[in-house]
Amino acid sequence: MKAIRNIQYVAMVFFGLLLGTSCSGLLDEPLENQQIAEGTDYTQTQNMVLMLYGAYNQLYDFGWEVYPTLSVRGDDIDIGGRGDQPLFAQADSFRYDRNFWALNNSWTSLYTDLIYWQGAIEEIQKYQEAGANQGTAQQYIAEIKVMQGFEFLQLARMWGRILIPPSSQPSQLFNVELSSFEDVMQHIATLMDEAIPLLPNVRPNQRTDIPGGITRYTAYAVKAMASLELKNYPAVAEATGQIISSGLFSLEPDFYHLFKLRGKLNSENLLELQYSDYGTPTGTSNKYLWDFFGPTSWTPARSGASGGWGFWEPSMKYIQFMLDRGERERLETTVIFTPDGITDLRNAYPGTPSWVSNVTPDGDVFNNSVRTKFYSGKHYWPSTMLTQGRTAYGENKNFTVIRYAEVLLMHAEALVSGASSSAMTADAAVNEVRNRVGLGALSGVTLDQVLDEKFAEFAGEWGIRFYDLVRHDRTAELSYGGRSYDATTDRYFPYPLLQQDILPQLRDEN
Amino acid sequence: MRNLFTCFLLLCVVPGFALAQHRVSGRVTDALTSGGIPGVTVIVKGTETATQTDATGNFTIEANATDTLVFRSLGYALQEIPISSRTDVAVVLQGEGTELEEVVVVGYGTQRQRDLTTAVTTVRADDIAKTPNAQAMQSLQGRVAGVQIVSNGAPGASPTVRLRGIGSFEGNAAPLYVVDGMFFDNIDFLNPNDIATISVLKDASASAIYGVRAGNGVVLVETKSGAYNKPGEIVYDAYYGIQNPQNVLKMANAQQFVQYINGTGSAADIQLVQNAMQRYGRSRLDPNLPDVNTDWYSEIMSPAPIQNHNLSFNGGGESTRYSIGGSYFDQAGLLELQRNNYRRLNFRVKVDSKVKDWLNVGGNFNVSTARQYNGENTAWFRSYFAVPILPVYDDANTNAIPVKYANAQQIGYRGSQNPFFPLEYIDNRNHVAKLLGNFHAEVALWEQKLKFRTQYNYGLSFVNTRRVDFEYHDGVTQHQSAIRRQNTTDYDQVWDNFLTYDDNFGKHNLNVVLGQSYRSEYSELLFARGTAISPAPSRAAEQYWYLANATDFDLNSIGDADGGTLNANLQFLSFFGRAAYNYDDRYLLYATFRRDGNNKFQQTWGNFATVGAGWVLSEEEFFDVPGIDFLKFRASWGQLGNDAISPSVGLPTLQENNGAINGTRIIGRRLNPTFDLITQWETTVEKNFGVDAQFLNSRLSLEADYFIRDTRNLAVTIIPPVFASAERRSVGEIRNQGLELNLNWRDNLSEDFSYNIGGNIATLTNKVLGLGGADGLNAGSAEFRQRSIIGQPYQAFYGYEVTGVFDSPQQIQNTYDADFVAEKSLVPGDLIFKDQNGDGIIDDQDRVVLGSYLPDFTWGANLGFRYKKLEFAALLQGQTGYHILNRKRGEMIFTNDTNIDADLATNLWTEGGGSSKNYPSAAGLRRAWNQVMSSYFVEAGSYFRLQNVRLSYSLLGKEINGVNWPETRLTLTAERPLTVFKYNGFNPEVANGVDREVYPIPAIYTLGVTIKL
Repeated sequence: MKAIRNIQYVAMVFFGLLLGTSCSGLLDEPLENQQIAEGTDYTQTQNMVLMLYGAYNQLYDFGWEVYPTLSVRGDDIDIGGRGDQPLFAQADSFRYDRNFWALNNSWTSLYTDLIYWQGAIEEIQKYQEAGANQGTAQQYIAEIKVMQGFEFLQLARMWGRILIPPSSQPSQLFNVELSSFEDVMQHIATLMDEAIPLLPNVRPNQRTDIPGGITRYTAYAVKAMASLELKNYPAVAEATGQIISSGLFSLEPDFYHLFKLRGKLNSENLLELQYSDYGTPTGTSNKYLWDFFGPTSWTPARSGASGGWGFWEPSMKYIQFMLDRGERERLETTVIFTPDGITDLRNAYPGTPSWVSNVTPDGDVFNNSVRTKFYSGKHYWPSTMLTQGRTAYGENKNFTVIRYAEVLLMHAEALVSGASSSAMTADAAVNEVRNRVGLGALSGVTLDQVLDEKFAEFAGEWGIRFYDLVRHDRTAELSYGGRSYDATTDRYFPYPLLQQDILPQLRDEN
Repeated sequence: MRNLFTCFLLLCVVPGFALAQHRVSGRVTDALTSGGIPGVTVIVKGTETATQTDATGNFTIEANATDTLVFRSLGYALQEIPISSRTDVAVVLQGEGTELEEVVVVGYGTQRQRDLTTAVTTVRADDIAKTPNAQAMQSLQGRVAGVQIVSNGAPGASPTVRLRGIGSFEGNAAPLYVVDGMFFDNIDFLNPNDIATISVLKDASASAIYGVRAGNGVVLVETKSGAYNKPGEIVYDAYYGIQNPQNVLKMANAQQFVQYINGTGSAADIQLVQNAMQRYGRSRLDPNLPDVNTDWYSEIMSPAPIQNHNLSFNGGGESTRYSIGGSYFDQAGLLELQRNNYRRLNFRVKVDSKVKDWLNVGGNFNVSTARQYNGENTAWFRSYFAVPILPVYDDANTNAIPVKYANAQQIGYRGSQNPFFPLEYIDNRNHVAKLLGNFHAEVALWEQKLKFRTQYNYGLSFVNTRRVDFEYHDGVTQHQSAIRRQNTTDYDQVWDNFLTYDDNFGKHNLNVVLGQSYRSEYSELLFARGTAISPAPSRAAEQYWYLANATDFDLNSIGDADGGTLNANLQFLSFFGRAAYNYDDRYLLYATFRRDGNNKFQQTWGNFATVGAGWVLSEEEFFDVPGIDFLKFRASWGQLGNDAISPSVGLPTLQENNGAINGTRIIGRRLNPTFDLITQWETTVEKNFGVDAQFLNSRLSLEADYFIRDTRNLAVTIIPPVFASAERRSVGEIRNQGLELNLNWRDNLSEDFSYNIGGNIATLTNKVLGLGGADGLNAGSAEFRQRSIIGQPYQAFYGYEVTGVFDSPQQIQNTYDADFVAEKSLVPGDLIFKDQNGDGIIDDQDRVVLGSYLPDFTWGANLGFRYKKLEFAALLQGQTGYHILNRKRGEMIFTNDTNIDADLATNLWTEGGGSSKNYPSAAGLRRAWNQVMSSYFVEAGSYFRLQNVRLSYSLLGKEINGVNWPETRLTLTAERPLTVFKYNGFNPEVANGVDREVYPIPAIYTLGVTIKL
């Protein structure tokens, strides 16, 4: 009897243990919700476009700190935001700290885009090999190359000698030598040459698949910008001439509204970062962090609209330059005045016209701020243009990157620098830009006049002014308002300390 | 039925049962004091019949005239006395090795304390109950050497618990909690009163049987059980008290603030003070000040009540024991206005039954439901920064709807500042429910020597959170209403099957356990955020706070997956064994082995082993040292794993992103070429050496442990070149080592008076040994850098060393290179940073480690006495040798138009006056030079605290007014009545060392009552 019972127990124990052991198949359960790239079915060619969308989303997801890092150093704009981010103020004054976080973030943000885009190109190639339409695949790759070209340009403008990633694998950069500034620009020009024939021959806002996306003319514009840095003026004239003679682009007649709602997918734009609140009063929104530019104190025309951090202060130098030129439309569009700013201006510039006001054409009143005296008008979005219900500063505003005016003035710059073109004369190009804002025509324009025109037109935009001055060795202009620019040391930022720790090439360079 | 039961007894139990019963009564007294000893367990040897002595030491038990009675009590030597037909027995117990005979819970079984070769500390119910807190772990603060507890003052929040330092770069390095066999990440759901013991398995040898889960240490929690043959008992236990904010940080008042602002010389800021005077009027006392002097902390904070009620029923008969109970805990938060409290209701049933003489079956069910309203932490942050020249209300702020709170933006400040905005217009609610079900069966296979036990545990956990943002206008900006909900459900199960063999052959005692365990963890998550709620949410109409009333949804914040999804379905399979051998109570050997399998890492299986040995020198015949009653040396070595780290895919993945193209939301994909490769769990090897001793008739006891704990294969972040996304690899290495000492003295001076005094200390050295090639790994933020550097503590504060404040231009010129001084335009009142490399300039090369947030030294001391029915107990504790980043002062670098604390305001450097505390000048506070991470922001965090003082008085079965009053005890408790520290903050307990918005930890004063029926 007892023996039988014991046998039962032992059987039970074994049963238990066995049951446990038989569970071992459970250990093969995969981890949840991970799309392994290797597992992609590339014959599902309809998914190829997702990689392109992803590339655009990556482009539009532009870090707020990258823009000021790449464009703060000119005499057109000061950082503002006093009392916050002192290292940005130091960078504005050419006192660079390699341990400044925004340098590292700008470096990694741009490179991260480049790496993701390289990955997208590699993935699209796999779809193509698996049978996707070759023309479509090649066009997608060409679009992504233009994005790469644009960000290579920004990287090299900031750091001079940079690394060109050979593949989508960051670790391969350990074995890559630094490329010279000129080599990078040449690389961009080559990328654009590869892309141009494969891209749609339309204006970006004419694209129906990706309205506002990249077209052949975006590539020409990027090529022109790279060629300009190389001082390869014939190439600039050729690329800009292609854009001009396409006849597709025109300047938005109202300069103020170019940077407002009317600027979204405007026929002047060759490249813009797109955002949207999807027309709903609350809920989903993809936006650039415009708060950076917003006022710390204002009385918006629509009560309850939010302000911002009080950065990006147009320089007193620029304001006086514009007043000297007798310009109003571009000055009012570029600069928003505060009462304190107006007082300072009147003290410094007794002839300040009476129309200078702290009320914008859309009725927003900008109040005094401890952080800044002036705000950036090009990055301002009237409270009345906010979708009803929305309150965040600039919500639904697009970020214009390359516009036709820049193409015209690059064209003029190339021509007055010795290039020739049948597309348009330098005078015609400059006058088209001046005409829009009601300025009289010039004839026999000089390089000085072209650069002044660019200063007046592009203040606060993408560092255009700084890179113009550096390129033409007119850096004395940069030593203003207590700043002192040293051409031998201040053209490029130091490599970020964090990157020097990782990449020996950078350490040796510094 | 009754007949059947009798038959069962007759059949199964020893024939002796049929003999005539015999009633024996008597009194148990203490040999030293001759006083009666309450609570002595009296067992009829060889049977399950047992009872306990009453409060005066008397007992009555039914037995046979030939039986032997066994008397067992904590702190006394066991005694066996044959009845020899007597009906009255007087028993005198000798004091003995206090805890030596105690049975200690170890993994999958128990061991006698004296047999341990490992470091295990057990805290028992009466000590746990001393702390009026919802969190049982809080009661361990200062009681257990080597366990660092960092309190959290928010209602219902768990303290941070660290066992022997930090051995992982991920997670919060929290230990594994095993509650009656079930695994938990924390025990915040348990009612402390339901806990019988908390055993802290400190060294690797003790916890190795939990293998891959044990890397951060293991805490075993046993809930209370009934007792066989014990008459039913009803216990009501309650306390009510007040939490009082203490050590409230003094902020600059209006006068100090204005003086500081004038000191900055900033015209813009001085204008803001003028604006305040215009808007709010001038002070009649000092016309240069605004007529406002707001002390924000006192505005938002007030004392709050705390209360707890327990009702439990315990007891047992011949074959069944039970413990049933319920409790209600209610703690209000310190924040005014906003709902800020925690309520928890617990129910539990624990039943064990001897169904057959060979089969014991039991179950355990624990339900815990809690509702927590979390105070908006921003309010603490804002109260620090809000300027004192801003009132709470401003009748002129007519745009503000619905309440006219003052808005600092209206006098020119950057932010609205007023903490009442978040307090009034945000409501955070958490519903937390945890269910623990447990079934076990134990089969005696071969007498009581070989047993098989199977136990199945299921843990269900629901955490449902809801955050409601109300629609309001602050006078400047309109704020939309929104509701965010997140529901998380965890389904965890553990099924253990194991055999225990217990035997002795003469002087050889052997205990062997062999088993197998299956475990799974499955979790689900759902979150969504809706905006523009219609009707707009109001506190008066909570019934409309539903997502269904949202006008819009934010597609970017709806989902059922987050970073933790990878973890959502985990499977584990384990085999384990243990052998404990004891020869003649002199030589002890101990070994465990566990083999763990998982689907979490590329490496599926891992082995974890330990060996330990002990030598009880005092049992040797040659040992004859007067005064030493017990002396044991022990040493152990063990391996552990830590799988509480995120797993990895190990391959490039495709990720979704989104953006807008022409006003249409587009979902795209990108290829992430970088990936984590965490091939395995983190591994720990620990060596532990210990001594246990008892002196002077066991009045004095000593426990000492020294350990070296090395953890390898740590998941560490590797920064790839140029790419913003970091990769994790199993390459880190860290060491924790330290010494723990516990000394206790207890003595009875008379039957009426006994006392005890004791203390514990622990040291800890934490050192990063490897990072996979890198010299250091950044942590913290770019502005407030923390860095794990090889040879230094984990995430040490890293920056410039302040040696003083410049007093003169000459001093500046003498200190640094002339060009450098010119470039930086340094002025008197700026901090002096030490030029560590002596190159004349201060740059990133001059940064050094400024301190670690892990204390080098923690200590606790206890003192207690009993005089007749009056008992007193006090606990002191402290931590030293650690640092806190005063991140509140650091906020200056982002926004300088805020208030500062009074200590800073009154000790700023001034021309001619200098600064006794090495603070910069008022203007200097705003200069970039002084805003870099330096020792100015890093303060010593040492503190000393009177942790707990408790006075209780017992009324034992007294007859009052003719009514026989039940056993009653009244208790007065003061929890944390006094904390002494220098740190310029609310409290020196900051879990991660970065003090930005820490909930104050209040002092608590309670009155408690315990009634036993």
